[in-house]
Amino acid sequence: MNKEQFLKILEEGLKKLPHEEREEILQDFQEHFAIGLEQGKTEEEIAASLGSPQQIAKEMVATSHIEHVSENRSIGNIIRATWAVIGLSFFNLVIVLGPFLALVGILLAGWLTGISFVASPFIFLFNVLFFHGTFITLEFFLSITLCGVGLLALIGMYYATVALSNLFVRYLKYNVNLVKGGLKNESY
Amino acid sequence: MNIQFKKGVLDLCVLALLNKQDRYGYELVQKISVQIEVSEGSVYPLLRRLRKEGYLSTYLKESTEGPSRKYYQLTDEGRTHLRNLYNEWKQFTAGVEEIIKEGVQDE
Repeated sequence: MNKEQFLKILEEGLKKLPHEEREEILQDFQEHFAIGLEQGKTEEEIAASLGSPQQIAKEMVATSHIEHVSENRSIGNIIRATWAVIGLSFFNLVIVLGPFLALVGILLAGWLTGISFVASPFIFLFNVLFFHGTFITLEFFLSITLCGVGLLALIGMYYATVALSNLFVRYLKYNVNLVKGGLKNESY
Repeated sequence: MNIQFKKGVLDLCVLALLNKQDRYGYELVQKISVQIEVSEGSVYPLLRRLRKEGYLSTYLKESTEGPSRKYYQLTDEGRTHLRNLYNEWKQFTAGVEEIIKEGVQDE
């Protein structure tokens, strides 16, 4: 692989990054090639020691997404960062996707439970009005109680979601720090 | 050596190399790859991350030979981070040494 091919593949992999950031990264590698050539190496030698441009691009993209998720913790940013970290290596597929799905599952279950509790008086009314069920006092008070419990649960879920997302973002960061790059002869 | 393990200490290597003097990317990469077998390209994502985290700053400097070079400089935060990582590293290696020593003596 020569310089041009290397930079082309790198640029391709960096497509998702903002223009400015991409140019800066490409500039760094231009500089690396320029100095290497000055020191008498060939473009092929330099490219070979640098390693896979795809992998470098993946690491750059993951770093950038994690940066964004640290600034703005939106659901979209969390998903993009998770996806980018998973893409880094097969190893990450297991250690990142697993906890991510588990976390989403727990949060989803909590929110659904809370919402259905809150909705229970309406379901009770619906039942009475449309199915001409008898108005049962016990069920009525039970549904009011559930509604109250549900409201508390939803407030709790809000804080739990914020806390768990923070925790997960830290886990992603830790992961990128741990699994960056590869050995010289490692193939991806 | 195990890749995960090696990656974990690259941060420390970069910070240590920049402690006494500012260096440009190519120089850093060479210094590291002479001692540790890594794919050289993976040092650049690491440099970007350390800069984003505020441990490094960069500036351009004209070179006598060829185009200007981007130099990396340790910030105050970076110096603190280096000290912390170095202490962790010393504790870790001391622990490992101790375990190995005991293990080898038993044989």
